[in-house]
Amino acid sequence: MASNATTYTNLTPAKSLDKATLNKMVWRSLNLQGSFNYERMQANGWLYSILPGLLAIHGEGTEDLKTSMGHNLEFFNTHPFLVTFVMGIVLSLEQQKADINTIRAVRVAAMGPLGGIGDAIFWFTLVPIAAGICSNMAIEKNIMGPILFLLIFNVVQFAVRFFLMHWSYELGTQAIELLTANAKEFTRAASMLGVFIVGALTSNYGGTALNPNLALENGTTIQSILDGVLPKAIPLALTLGLYFLMKKHKWTPVMCIGALLVLGILGALVGIF
Amino acid sequence: MDFNFIQIILVFAWVFIVAIDQFDLLESLYQPIVTGAVLGIILGDLETGLIVGGTYQLMTIGNMPVGGAQPPNAVIGGVMAVVFAIGSGLETTAAVGLAVPFALIGQYMVTLLFTVMSPMMSVADKMAEKGDHKGIVNLNYLAMAALGLLFAVVCTIGMIGGSAMGKVLTDVFDAVPWLMTGLSAAGGMMRFVGFATLLRIMLSNEHWGIYFTGFALATIIGYIPALSGSALLLIAFIGITLALSDFQTNVAIRNAAGSNVNGGDDDGI
Repeated sequence: MASNATTYTNLTPAKSLDKATLNKMVWRSLNLQGSFNYERMQANGWLYSILPGLLAIHGEGTEDLKTSMGHNLEFFNTHPFLVTFVMGIVLSLEQQKADINTIRAVRVAAMGPLGGIGDAIFWFTLVPIAAGICSNMAIEKNIMGPILFLLIFNVVQFAVRFFLMHWSYELGTQAIELLTANAKEFTRAASMLGVFIVGALTSNYGGTALNPNLALENGTTIQSILDGVLPKAIPLALTLGLYFLMKKHKWTPVMCIGALLVLGILGALVGIF
Repeated sequence: MDFNFIQIILVFAWVFIVAIDQFDLLESLYQPIVTGAVLGIILGDLETGLIVGGTYQLMTIGNMPVGGAQPPNAVIGGVMAVVFAIGSGLETTAAVGLAVPFALIGQYMVTLLFTVMSPMMSVADKMAEKGDHKGIVNLNYLAMAALGLLFAVVCTIGMIGGSAMGKVLTDVFDAVPWLMTGLSAAGGMMRFVGFATLLRIMLSNEHWGIYFTGFALATIIGYIPALSGSALLLIAFIGITLALSDFQTNVAIRNAAGSNVNGGDDDGI
C-alpha cells in the first residue's frame, strides 16, 4: 500500500543521474514484465527497473527511498519497448524531489497512451516486415533467416530504449523549472490528467463481461441488455465498488483480490462468466 | 523418435529461456523463426527446424501478444511443433495441430502464474516499507524463473511422453472447467483493484466528473473498431487539453490574485 506522504523529507535536488546509471536502467527495463500479475501488472518490474536511479537519488536506507518505493509499486502498465520514456521523465522528477502526487500523476498520464504507439511500431510494423522477409529465407533452409530477424528486431529495440531514456530524462530536467514555479497548479492539473486516464483505462482495459450463454428465451443475451443501458458497466461498477471498499471500509488489496477470486470461481460455477 | 538425455536437457534449458523471453529479456528469441532453428540444431535437424519455424512464424504474424489477453500460448506451441516435426517426421501443419493442446496448457500456466503473483504484490509492499530493494529485485527474478520452469517442465513431459501427453494434460484441466474459467474471470477483474488503489490516492471529490469523462470517451472510442489501437493516445490528447487549460487558468488566477501578496515572486509562464 502506498505511503500517505505527499512530499519527500529531503527536498534538496539530488545530483543528476549519470549516463552509466541511466544505461543500467535501460538494461533492467528488459525485465519490466518479470513479475507481471493481474492486479498491478508491471508494477513490481517497474520498481525493479528504476531502483538503481532511486537508490542514487534518495540513498540507501532513507525514509525517502521507502516512500518512493511505496508509490512506485502502484498499478503500472505501459508498452514494454517504450517504457524508458516514462522512466526518464519520472526519474527527472524524482531527482528534483517533486511533489509525490505530481510524480504519480505524470507516471499514470505517460504510461497509458504508449501502448497503442508501441503496438503500432513493433507488432504491426516491425515484426510483420522483418518476419515476413526472414521467414521465407528460413523456409528456404537459409540459416541467415533467424539471424537477420534477431539482428533487425534488436537493433531497433535497443536504439528505441536507449534513445527514449536519455531524451526523456533531459526533457524532464528541462521542464522542471517551469513546473516548480507553478508546482501547486501543475500537481492539480497532472492529477486531473491521471484521473482522466484511469477513467479511460477502466473502460479500455475492462474486459469483464457476462457469459454469452446467459440469455433470455428469445436469444437476447443479458450482456447485450446491460450494454444497452451502459457499455462497460461491469468494469465501472467493479472499480467503483472496490474503491468504496478500500476508501470507506479500509479493505486492503489482498482482501479485494481474495473477494474477486471467490467471485470469479463462484461465478464460473453458476455460469455467470 | 526417442531423444537422448543431452537433447532433453538442452531443450529444457532453451524452453526455460524462451518462456521468460516471451515477456522479458530480448522479447524476440521466443519467435518461432528463432526457436525453430535453435531446436533444429539441438535435435540434429537444422533444416526441418528452419522450415517449421519459418512456416509457424508466418502463421503467427497476425497473432501478436497485443492488449494483454492470453491466447493459446504460441511459444510452447511453436516448441512442441518443432519437436514433433523433427521427432516424428510430420508435416508442419500436422505437427502444429498436435502442439495445440500444449499451447492451451501454456495459456493455463500463464493465467495461474499471473493470478498467484497478484497477492504477492502485498509482500512487495512490505519490502518497500522496509526499503528492502534487494527483495524487489529477487521477487522479479523469482517470478521469471517460475515461468521458465513451468514451461520447461511441460515441454519435457511432452518430449518424453509424446504428443499423447498433451491430451492427458488438458484432460486434467478440462475435468474442472470452472476452475480455469473462474481464474481467468478473476484475473481479468484484478486490474480493477489496481485502478481503485490509484483512484483512492489521486481522486479528489471535485474530479469525479473527470473520471467519468475519461471512462465515457474511452467507451465511445472503443466502439469504433478502426480506433482500437490509437484509442488511449487520442484520449490522452483530450485529457492533456483539459489539464493544460485547468493549469493555465489556475496560474492566471493566482498571478492576478497574488500579485499584491507576494508580488514579483512569480513571473508566470
